[in-house]
Amino acid sequence: MRILTAVIAIAVGSMVLLGYFSTSFINIQTLLLNWAIILAGVAALAGVFNLITVHGNKVRQAEKNSIYSAVLVISLIATFILGIILRPQHAVMQVILNGIILPVESTLMGLLTITLLYAGIRLLRRRVDVMSIFFIISAVIIFLGSATLPSGDIPLIGTLVRPWLSQIWAMGGARGILIGVALGTLVTGLRVLFGVERPYGGK
Amino acid sequence: MAISLDLITGVLSFLFTLMILSYLIGDNPVFRLAVYMFIGITSGYIASIIWWQVLAPRLLMPLLPALLSGSIVEKVIAITPLLGAVFILMKLSPRLSKIASIAMAFLVGAGAAVIIAGALIGTIIPQISATINFFDPQLAAQRNINVIEVLGNGAIILVGVVTSLGYFHFSARQQANGTVRRFFLIEIIAFIGKIFIGTTLGVIFAGVYATALTAFIERISSLINFFGNF
Repeated sequence: MRILTAVIAIAVGSMVLLGYFSTSFINIQTLLLNWAIILAGVAALAGVFNLITVHGNKVRQAEKNSIYSAVLVISLIATFILGIILRPQHAVMQVILNGIILPVESTLMGLLTITLLYAGIRLLRRRVDVMSIFFIISAVIIFLGSATLPSGDIPLIGTLVRPWLSQIWAMGGARGILIGVALGTLVTGLRVLFGVERPYGGK
Repeated sequence: MAISLDLITGVLSFLFTLMILSYLIGDNPVFRLAVYMFIGITSGYIASIIWWQVLAPRLLMPLLPALLSGSIVEKVIAITPLLGAVFILMKLSPRLSKIASIAMAFLVGAGAAVIIAGALIGTIIPQISATINFFDPQLAAQRNINVIEVLGNGAIILVGVVTSLGYFHFSARQQANGTVRRFFLIEIIAFIGKIFIGTTLGVIFAGVYATALTAFIERISSLINFFGNF
């Protein structure tokens, strides 16, 4: 089984990768990616089913705070059944989306205002080094530069320092981080493709 | 009297916003209830979208025509993902979960190829090209920017890219006194990289904070507007 899975992963990966560089492989690449999308969808559904199972077990065993798990399972199943019967574009599903999902996401994002502020203060108290000092200085400059006063932008900071910091200095660092992340991703992908890394099972 | 869907949306939005904002006074049952409901509803909503936008059109709808009137190749093309789907569902059973690794291997292989191409074509090549283009005097002339300014800014960006990458270079040698230390030049590069990374993270922090603040103000404004409409 271990050899079979490795052969499948390497063969599929190679054919999909070849599709990016040779037109002869585009059809097979499209077919394989279509199958991968289907399998990813099924895997996501299996994940949702696993969520129901885990919280269902908590309710059955009457664990502490199992009332919340019951609420989760009921709301999940009800929304899924409604979505299957009515389809996601239906007005009722749009009420669920615009009345619950989007406001909760937006409010949770809003709560970040408090937690980020707290985290920023804690950073200075816990770790004072070059990185954290530059972190705070650049954040403060960006805040000051973005603040709109009744008289307009703050001179120098708003018009010169903030754009220079965000478009030149931060761009250099961000590009370095991005390239580093991409190099890491590339190496991990190649390790999977060469069968060195086997996250699907087997060493 | 029929209740309009807009009113229901407004009431739900108002209630859930209040429930989530109750976290400001500390973790409490109302906040937890809202969060658990949110997770359940979002999961159910996403599951229904997966059903209608992925599984029904790509897996189920092509299946029947292919089985009834398709050629052998068409039948194989239609049945193979169904077989893979059955394999993945076997992951839910501890006894059969090993069979699921066949479908998982397929997914991981395809995913690895996509991320390799994405990292190469989507990030590494464009980012390196953009860094090089900063030194192109013709491009600077087209945008009416002073050549010295362009070279200066390009040099800062280049130093930022190289030193930020250098910061993540963790190869080290054991010293005579037993301590492990990076090569001296790498230490200097990493120090400069720290400055660039700290600056970058500070700018990103400020951006995320501004977004969070905008979302917070929008929610508070929606609460006020909700009362204002009555």
